[in-house]
Amino acid sequence: MNALRGQLELWRLHLAVIVLGAIAELIGIQKIPLGIGAILLLPLLYAFVMAALMNPNVMPKFGKFIRQKEVAAASPLIVIAIMPFIAKFGTTIGPAIETIIAAGPALLLQELGNLGTIVLAFPLAVWGLKMGREAIGATFSIAREPNLAIIADRYTLKSPEGTGVMGVYVIGTLFGTFIFAILASLFASADIFDPRALAMACGIGSGSMMAACTGALTEVIPSMKDEILALAGASNLLTYATGLYAGLFIALPIVEKLYNATAGKNDIATANKKEA
Amino acid sequence: MSENAIAMERTRPNIDLTDHAVTLVIVCLVGLVMNTVGPAIPLADGFVGMVVIYLITMVGLLLTRFAPFYLPSVAWISLVGILATLPWTPGSEWIVEQAKSVNFLALATPALAYAGFAIAKKEIEVAKHSGWKLALVACLVFLGTYAGSVLVAELILRLQGA
Repeated sequence: MNALRGQLELWRLHLAVIVLGAIAELIGIQKIPLGIGAILLLPLLYAFVMAALMNPNVMPKFGKFIRQKEVAAASPLIVIAIMPFIAKFGTTIGPAIETIIAAGPALLLQELGNLGTIVLAFPLAVWGLKMGREAIGATFSIAREPNLAIIADRYTLKSPEGTGVMGVYVIGTLFGTFIFAILASLFASADIFDPRALAMACGIGSGSMMAACTGALTEVIPSMKDEILALAGASNLLTYATGLYAGLFIALPIVEKLYNATAGKNDIATANKKEA
Repeated sequence: MSENAIAMERTRPNIDLTDHAVTLVIVCLVGLVMNTVGPAIPLADGFVGMVVIYLITMVGLLLTRFAPFYLPSVAWISLVGILATLPWTPGSEWIVEQAKSVNFLALATPALAYAGFAIAKKEIEVAKHSGWKLALVACLVFLGTYAGSVLVAELILRLQGA
């Protein structure tokens, strides 16, 4: 059993995950009241922060117990650790299949709502912050792996567009769970939107973003827990199916055209000046 | 550190099933500890629930490996979870009941702990190098994507009057 031996050699990593995870679970969900609502802190957030603080790349001084060997091994383990979580979400969708079908049109079309990133982020990036072609990669999508693949394929990751998408990707990886926990807490406690709509929108990102988002939602609206999990899970599954194509055929062409029609003109003008 | 990394590969990845089967046992045991400590679900109930979740995951991985067409493993696992719990599936009530003894947030806690340990030097460098501008843009990307989805879903639900 080479696989077993390999994992047992990583006992430091698994032990640290158990200890930090248990501490995080014991702290439990905490509410921070704010004027308009409340922000929810979830055990998964504490677990991430505590683990990051023991990571030798983040805190070089503490890099005694967890070494580079464990860091390298941890990356593929995230993929495996998220699998039971996805399976659990699947088991919430089946019993709620009638709810899902009833919400079908909304579920399908809310995928188009992902284009909202262009509406909000593109103007800020191009006109507010005067970013160059980085803005294309940064604002066309939520920058998870399929979207990285699109930019890598079209521009390579070393291009300005690649820098943009990588920047948002890394920020999402480091802070995505926090941002989603906060977004969901605030939207839910504002009490304007249908909880089903909030739940569907939780499925737009990665598994851990969905965890943070639904965790916060179910805490604010516990009476709808089953429905929230089912709709978020269904939306997330749909994102796997449609995300790549929506990014490739809709979002990226729109952002490219917008950029070329606006900031891109200046780029050409500057380039011409330099030549002249 | 990429939980959707598998989805990125266009061609079918060669999943080592024994390796995954063993690693999943460890990951599920870690999850079981969280499930017992946090949500305080009795260990015996949580154990049976976790066995069910484990089996669903493994069937999903088998399909990823051997199905006639390729789907990312997370999609297969999700589909198996759905099919196993549909009201028309024989025995689904029992599966649903067992799966209820596993708390979804407790399963996410270890995944995020692994993610914290997986932060690479390069990621720290990218974050530092990108600076505050990209961080600000990223926040609006997340807000815009989430709010856009909420608004469209809300609109359709109201139009449906559902």
